[in-house]
Amino acid sequence: MDCGTCETAPAVVITKPEPVTVSLTITEKATSMLADAFDGDDSHALLVGVSSGGCSGYMYDLQIVENTDQDVQELNVDGFRVLVPNATSHLLNGIEIDFVEKMMGGGFKINNPNADSTCGCGESFS
Amino acid sequence: MPIVARDASLLILRGADVLEFVDGLSTNLVKDLKVGEHVQTVFTDRNAKIIDLCTCLQRDSFVALIGHNRNRERLLNHLNTRILTSDVTISDATESNDFFLDISGIKKEFDSEITSVKISESEVLLVASKGTGPEIDMSKKEWDEWRIENLRPDVGHEITESFHPFSCGLSALVHTNKGCYIGQEILARMRSRGTFGRELKRLKNGDCKPAFVTTEGDTHCMAIVRPSNPESH
Repeated sequence: MDCGTCETAPAVVITKPEPVTVSLTITEKATSMLADAFDGDDSHALLVGVSSGGCSGYMYDLQIVENTDQDVQELNVDGFRVLVPNATSHLLNGIEIDFVEKMMGGGFKINNPNADSTCGCGESFS
Repeated sequence: MPIVARDASLLILRGADVLEFVDGLSTNLVKDLKVGEHVQTVFTDRNAKIIDLCTCLQRDSFVALIGHNRNRERLLNHLNTRILTSDVTISDATESNDFFLDISGIKKEFDSEITSVKISESEVLLVASKGTGPEIDMSKKEWDEWRIENLRPDVGHEITESFHPFSCGLSALVHTNKGCYIGQEILARMRSRGTFGRELKRLKNGDCKPAFVTTEGDTHCMAIVRPSNPESH
């Protein structure tokens, strides 16, 4: 097998969508839950990302972080620092971060106007 | 030594996230592969329709994804748009290799330029640097007759974007509890309800409507039909 390490195989050009300037909102319920999570510590931020996978192709990835080595844009939403990676900004512009109570416990939920469909559990979209 | 040529593709994936990435996009368990191991897996879209059937081979410093040339662009596009922030790079080594299937079922030693991967009891997939492959001694017609005899689906006939893995004989490649991947909800629902729709059958020629025949041989054919009634839609 010629695996291309001898440069016979061209690298595939990865199509990266142009970053867009993200605007997002956080519902009152989610704001309250985030305030509890941050507990007044403004050295941390909410990283809102997307990774591939899930039943529909893309999965949300919410993390509370101090820093990230990703190329991100930083927003201030209702007093919270929110970081959005530029690589996934095209999928996240216009989202609303909500918090919903469920039988199995509560959790953050993303309402995304860019999603054509969402899987049954709500964690992935396409 | 029956060897048939294959119009295959070879993508080389490198990066720390490759196995997780492929695992999240295809039906079989890929993420636990160790160096030297391989697994066949099916990339499906969100309707569980097939994008490509690939052999995923873990080597020392990369993962080789051996698929089918006719699906290469579609697969590349599927992968490309989902890399996002994952540590995955892809190169396309299709043009520098030739591809073959040895269906003798006999273990053999091959030239060091040839990578062999046993993908079933009777089939060994061979990937050879361009121009170093073995002699081809099986025609397309003989290959199709062998496939019909062994109910072996192939890309472009049974394995197409019109079907999901259950209907074209690839159920064994749909892992039951690996977790989420694109198309998983639909396949899991079909399996839990026991409703798989059409399935791949070997029939005598003339025993089903021509529209359902996927490969026709001298006396028998393969067709994707309702299990209860091959004549029905």
